[in-house]
Amino acid sequence: MGKDTLNKLTTTIINTPSDYARASREIEKSVSLKNINICFLSSYTSEVLNPYIIVELAKNGYKGSLYYAPFNQFEQEIYNPDSGLYLFDPDIVLIHSRIEDSHQNLMMRFAKYSDDELQEISEDIINRHKKMLDGLRNKSDAKIIVINFGNAQMTEDCFTSSPVIQSQRTYIQNLNRSLLELSNKLTSCYVIDYQQLFDHIGLNNCIDPKLFYMARIPFNSSAQIEFGKIISRTIFAIYSSPAKCIVLDLDNTLWGGVIGEDGISGIQLSDEYPGNVFKTFQRAILGLRDQGVLLAIASKNNINDVFDVFEKHTDCLLKKSDFSSIQIHWENKASSIEKISQELNISLDSIVFFDDSPFERDWVRKQLPSVKVIEVPKNPMNYLKALNESKFFDRLIVTNEDRIRADIYQQEQQRKSALNNSVSIDDFLRDLKLVVKIGNSDDVTITRIEQLLSKTNQFNLTTKRHSSADLIKIIRDGGKVLWLSCADRYGDNGIVGVAILVETKHRTWLIDSMLLSCRVIGRKIETVLLAEIVEILRGENAEELYGHYIPTKKNQIVSNFYKQHNFQSTDKKNNFWRLNLKESSIIKPNYIEIVRND
Amino acid sequence: MIDDMKLKEVISNVLGVSIEEINDDSSPDNIEKWDSLSHINLVMALESEFKVELSPEDAMDMLSVKLIRMILEDVLKD
Repeated sequence: MGKDTLNKLTTTIINTPSDYARASREIEKSVSLKNINICFLSSYTSEVLNPYIIVELAKNGYKGSLYYAPFNQFEQEIYNPDSGLYLFDPDIVLIHSRIEDSHQNLMMRFAKYSDDELQEISEDIINRHKKMLDGLRNKSDAKIIVINFGNAQMTEDCFTSSPVIQSQRTYIQNLNRSLLELSNKLTSCYVIDYQQLFDHIGLNNCIDPKLFYMARIPFNSSAQIEFGKIISRTIFAIYSSPAKCIVLDLDNTLWGGVIGEDGISGIQLSDEYPGNVFKTFQRAILGLRDQGVLLAIASKNNINDVFDVFEKHTDCLLKKSDFSSIQIHWENKASSIEKISQELNISLDSIVFFDDSPFERDWVRKQLPSVKVIEVPKNPMNYLKALNESKFFDRLIVTNEDRIRADIYQQEQQRKSALNNSVSIDDFLRDLKLVVKIGNSDDVTITRIEQLLSKTNQFNLTTKRHSSADLIKIIRDGGKVLWLSCADRYGDNGIVGVAILVETKHRTWLIDSMLLSCRVIGRKIETVLLAEIVEILRGENAEELYGHYIPTKKNQIVSNFYKQHNFQSTDKKNNFWRLNLKESSIIKPNYIEIVRND
Repeated sequence: MIDDMKLKEVISNVLGVSIEEINDDSSPDNIEKWDSLSHINLVMALESEFKVELSPEDAMDMLSVKLIRMILEDVLKD
């Protein structure tokens, strides 16, 4: 039933309140969509959003079950441990206290306030949110989504460039900045920018006075549909990981025309129409790279023609070095994508394919169904919109590792070409001048540790997806959460490894989780990590160490990991392995420098 | 004239009752799911399906299927 519901949703047009009402009832009957419990705390009648949130979530494979607290009952729901909120046991709590509802004068009579009064009100608002968020976080592990403050819908002065309106907008922006800082300090707390709704459909097109005055509903039905989409998109982004790589075609995708026919001076790429359409698209692609998306090329072309464009065309923003993998030849694009996936060590389902040719898109869809293919519009002016609406690259946080990821892959290519010139693997590794740093998790590193746990599939012994809340509990119960970072002559890779150790009984420890990012496999860093684990545990007077291996479809690479390091199997399935710490040691390679970050 | 099938379909979609259960005398008194929130939802759905704008008074007076039809016909006439 779930599959049918999903198919029906993607093939039928749903755009009126009546369509949404019918579709949401069908979804409520479905059994196989993944359930998410969502609690909505708001200062208005948020129940009207129900069909829109349910239908938009179902399009992404989720079934939302919603509990709407009575309006304006924020504190009552959060501070009372027996409230409807906690009885409902939500996975997600949405908090939306509209400033128009809590501070009517601030929105409609802004000019009457002195600077001091404004400052005081702002502190009040932020303090209230801080207390609510802290209160909620202390009692629940639910993910929290706060909806921030939008510009005033009704003011005494409608002339938008007046100084009063300008200072009111600045005031709201400052409130939003404080709110964002507040939520960044909490684990799993995200902010939706309420202004998005008005940006999408216009401040004046959002309200139906009848609904507001009769039923405390601050938006009309088209704004409700749009808001349902915004909320669902954020929830979806919380539960899914962004695609890792975009594979791009060249002719009529990154520039207009065909390089093999039109030549370097004939292709469309400039600051004037139509070349500026492609130049803008290139800039957006670089924007994806800045957020950690790897760029790759799959093009049927003569490679020298293409490199000429990258080197000599002054309006070509993308350079050869921006791409982590380049497949330019006359073979089919499905095999190009497979090669890219192997070269970058990423799975096919984390790759997005963008090509203007319907033929190529169909071919890839049929050959490699797990690759995400964007339906590219005919008009290049709509490329950006298609990229954005695909949602494949939505991410709620950008870590430092995300910002430098593409550079790291580029360094890896330099390493590989150095490998081709080296005499032996040991010489090569010695020449890399590897430095490994190991430390205990703290407030700064925990986000990256959680990220690695959630997305590492290959070099991962148990694939346990611990959240940061789980990690904090493990540490509180006496366990150890270690991170490993590594650097070499080509650059710093950042944090690339995690190990979690727990004492199961007196002087006996278990490696609950151990993983390494695939880009540093094959340098014996895993051996160093294991050896350091042994040393750290000897410091705790441990006598026995157990390793655990849980096989998955993707972690074949570590099936013999414990065997290779002289652990003894303890069961027929080879899932648990034992090392006697009094008798055995792990021999470390001597070419890696180890630093403890204590 | 109001398309009667379309009217019943909208009411059925919004209130979650089958089309057969809906007749001219259907009202908040005999359809349990027709509460104040679904009434608002119904008003929004009717506005969108029949491309009309209803006043608060129209919305409040729509207290049976018969009355809904009358008010819609009245508004569409203007």
